[in-house]
Amino acid sequence: MRRSRLASLLLAGTLLTCEPAVAEPGLTDTEILIGDVEPLTGPPALLGVGHTIGVKIAVAEINAAGGINGRKIRYVFEDDGYVTARTLQGLKKVIDVDKAFALLGLSGSGQSVAALPELEEAGIPTVISVGPVKPLWEPPRKNVFVVGQAYEEGIRQLVSYLADKNPGRKWGLVTQNDDYGIAVLDGFEAVVKAKNLNVVYEGSYKKGQQDFSSDILRVKDAGVEVFLAGGIISENVAMVKELEKLGVKPVIGIFWPGRIEPVIRLMGPPSDGIYAVDYVEPQASAAGQAFLEKAKAILPEAELKGVNRYTFAAYAAARTLFAAIGRCGKQPTWACTISELENTKDFATGTMAPISFGPGVRFSSQQLKIMRIDFATTSFKPVD
Amino acid sequence: MRSGTYKETYAQLVALTDSRLVWFWSAVLLAVLFVAPYYLNAYALSFLTLILITAMGALGLNILTGFTGLISLGQVGFLVTGAYAYAIAVSKFGWSPFAGFLLAALVPAVASLIVGAPSLRLKGLYLAITTMAFSFIINSVILEARSLTNGARGIRVRHPDLLGVGTAGDVAFSHLCLVFALAALFATLNLRRSRVGRAFVAIRDNDIAARAMGINLQSYKLLAFATSATMTGLAGALYGIYLSFVSVEGFPFLLSIEALAILIVGGLGSTLGAILGTVFIVLLPEATRLVFSAVSGGAGGLFTTGGQELKSILYGLVIILFLRFQPRGLVGAWHDLKRAWVNWPLRY
Amino acid sequence: MDYFLQLAVSGIAIGAVYGLLAMGFAAIYKSTGLVNFAQGEITMIVAYIAWTIATTVSGNVVVVSAGAIAAAVVLGLAIERIVMRPMLGEPVFSTVMVTIGLAVILRSSITFIWDAYPHALDLGTGRGIIRIGGLGVRGAQIAVVGTLLLLLAGFWLFFRYSKFGVAMRAVAADDRTALLMGISASRIHAIAWAASSVVAGIAGIFFAISYDLSPDMYQLGLKAFPATILGGLDSVLGSGFGGILIGLTENLAGGYLGSGVKDVAGFVMIVVVLMIRPFGLFGERDIERV
Repeated sequence: MRRSRLASLLLAGTLLTCEPAVAEPGLTDTEILIGDVEPLTGPPALLGVGHTIGVKIAVAEINAAGGINGRKIRYVFEDDGYVTARTLQGLKKVIDVDKAFALLGLSGSGQSVAALPELEEAGIPTVISVGPVKPLWEPPRKNVFVVGQAYEEGIRQLVSYLADKNPGRKWGLVTQNDDYGIAVLDGFEAVVKAKNLNVVYEGSYKKGQQDFSSDILRVKDAGVEVFLAGGIISENVAMVKELEKLGVKPVIGIFWPGRIEPVIRLMGPPSDGIYAVDYVEPQASAAGQAFLEKAKAILPEAELKGVNRYTFAAYAAARTLFAAIGRCGKQPTWACTISELENTKDFATGTMAPISFGPGVRFSSQQLKIMRIDFATTSFKPVD
Repeated sequence: MRSGTYKETYAQLVALTDSRLVWFWSAVLLAVLFVAPYYLNAYALSFLTLILITAMGALGLNILTGFTGLISLGQVGFLVTGAYAYAIAVSKFGWSPFAGFLLAALVPAVASLIVGAPSLRLKGLYLAITTMAFSFIINSVILEARSLTNGARGIRVRHPDLLGVGTAGDVAFSHLCLVFALAALFATLNLRRSRVGRAFVAIRDNDIAARAMGINLQSYKLLAFATSATMTGLAGALYGIYLSFVSVEGFPFLLSIEALAILIVGGLGSTLGAILGTVFIVLLPEATRLVFSAVSGGAGGLFTTGGQELKSILYGLVIILFLRFQPRGLVGAWHDLKRAWVNWPLRY
Repeated sequence: MDYFLQLAVSGIAIGAVYGLLAMGFAAIYKSTGLVNFAQGEITMIVAYIAWTIATTVSGNVVVVSAGAIAAAVVLGLAIERIVMRPMLGEPVFSTVMVTIGLAVILRSSITFIWDAYPHALDLGTGRGIIRIGGLGVRGAQIAVVGTLLLLLAGFWLFFRYSKFGVAMRAVAADDRTALLMGISASRIHAIAWAASSVVAGIAGIFFAISYDLSPDMYQLGLKAFPATILGGLDSVLGSGFGGILIGLTENLAGGYLGSGVKDVAGFVMIVVVLMIRPFGLFGERDIERV
């Protein structure tokens, strides 16, 4: 009585009070509850919505096949608007109020990192697929699994590939001034040292910058021949268009956070031949086409345009999690789910290379693919 | 029934309240705030904690903007300075959390003297823009000073142990925030009724007249900046601990706007308004979320992610409608309510 | 030399966009005494409307511009009539707060009505690159500078010679006396909102042609507001100039001092200028009486 009165006094009865957990949370006779926190409003909704669509496809698919050992999956997600404080609140909500059985997600890389203490304390099985950054798996946390590849490694492979193709050229790089930019820079500098590359320009821009004229002019002035555009979406577009304006045509490389198909149309013809690196299948590949067919069958028309690489990544992560829960039999527990996630071995999802974890390994270290933009078909094509 | 107020001495005039009833209810509220964390679930508790931290920041801005009339769009700059001062002291240098909090109070105060300098010449929005400039410049400084701040990597912050008492749990941390917020509240209330507070208000109402009355504009304006920054800096340290991770990205410029919104929605210049405004603005997204899920829950659209944006539209709408019908803010509504209560059934 | 010229040219081009927005800020401030925090959002909405016209009705420049300008006028008038006029006579702070609420609504409606992906506004012109000597400029970048200059001249003539312009100045100087002289303050406000939203919309369209449409375009407002302050809040012409100055400073700093300085340079310049001229470069000094 007093409990409920206090709660209603403070929050107008909108939030439920604590009930002691009886069995594993999020588990009823008919349902398994999966939680998520994503940016669903504002510009970052691009990744948040793309991600939730991927999970929904996986959920719809598994529910159509009868669910996991008879239990249907219910997917609840909170919007954080890409604000860290709200990510943490959303997390508390899905864990403590909705009582999710497991988590997918989780928002951007910075948000995931901030959520780590909360996740560790709760001990809830979590598979992260949106922003794979090192602090998430170094040191490994018992219940936090990351599907993807480190930015550093992605950059390393892309730069090594480009360096072998273009020996003795002058290199230039523009990065964003946040944790993503630092990861890019770290990966880049590792190769520069190893391959002794000639770097003539390294610059950074403030997140949200829209005009890159001075940055790219410096790139041109330094005589850059191989250029890495370390922006995300509109930044990379602006950089490429600025290069076009200044009439320079370096070899260009971009990274996966901005590897979405609309970018090609925005960049226009200069986008042709730009190199990209990703661990997620490009939409133009056979596997990508197969996944899109599957999505078309499940998604309503309005949601289809939200499909992007984050959809592919989320689908793989969700499938991995569901498979692990499935292997736990009739009465899945957190402990069993975690150990089954650990036992994931060469699990094929179709949207990226097979996924594996292992004892003490919480990072799937996906195999990377180098691809190139084909402007004629507005697609990313794998490079052989 | 009280039918008016008669004050006979200055002491009565500046007393915090002349009513025992107010003291009683304040004590009850305090007790509730102390006990509540034990009964609330983690999600509800996070709102309480956030309200306490935000209230502290809002009270800080209230001293500057509400009392002294200096508009600041750079509040987030003090917030981030305080958070970094704490994080660097505690997480990087391994100093005691007390030293951390001390620095979180001092560093922003010192910074505020630099930010406040233009206030000696500039007024209104011209001053607001220099404070906004400060908050952008401070971000650049933090990103460039990598050896101290880890640059864009950010600094991880643990919940502190104070005098052997751990604040790792949500409950203990909310108590810590409660202590800080209460201290800030009392500091503000007492400041307002002191000589200094009256000088601040005089400057707000008419600085030339205030000067003619013998108030040293330079030192009082800077003092307002320093007090405000101290309080905001401490709130920043708490916010950093709450986020468990201090980085420039955790402190977007939006927070500066939100701080002003709190004061205006609450009722500019009023301490009670700052508190009410905080509660309103912190809980508003949750309220819109509830309305949204109640409405869309019936439709049961598994695939309607685009509709999420309706929440934000609702958020803006509530603010507009609220100010349309209650332009004096929550504190105005509170006074209307009190008057209606006292005068009922008469209107006046 | 080419290096400097290229920096200066692109600096002026982006500065002209800031300048147009800043003129919008100043037009509203001058006639209503308010800062419109939704200026960047209005810019964005008009640009998105232009995009919708271009992709659904016709990609013709004339059709799109006419449609977008008409939409901007309607938007400005609607905001004034529905949102701002009821706030007439209420405390300034509350009224400014209302524009902040408005900004939230407009910003969200972008992803609600359209989507979060960036889009290209292709009107068949303005995206091409013009080469003069060693310099490269997009057509729209030249056009935006030209438009800014034209509008500056237009506004100057308007305030100097037109009846409305003089009335606006009168309302700005002393609204009560202006009312006594038979000037309708609410009509002046409506015109100011419409004009400001048109100017901002034009800026948005030019920006969208030479860069792209994206839901974070509203951040242009954050750049333009300082420009208004720099030029002088109550000076429409000064604000336009302030925008160019900021664009130029940022680009030169980015080009010569380093990319990390680019963003801060504009702000540092503003603080320095304001310390010397506390009412902006072209603002009028208030005469205070006690």
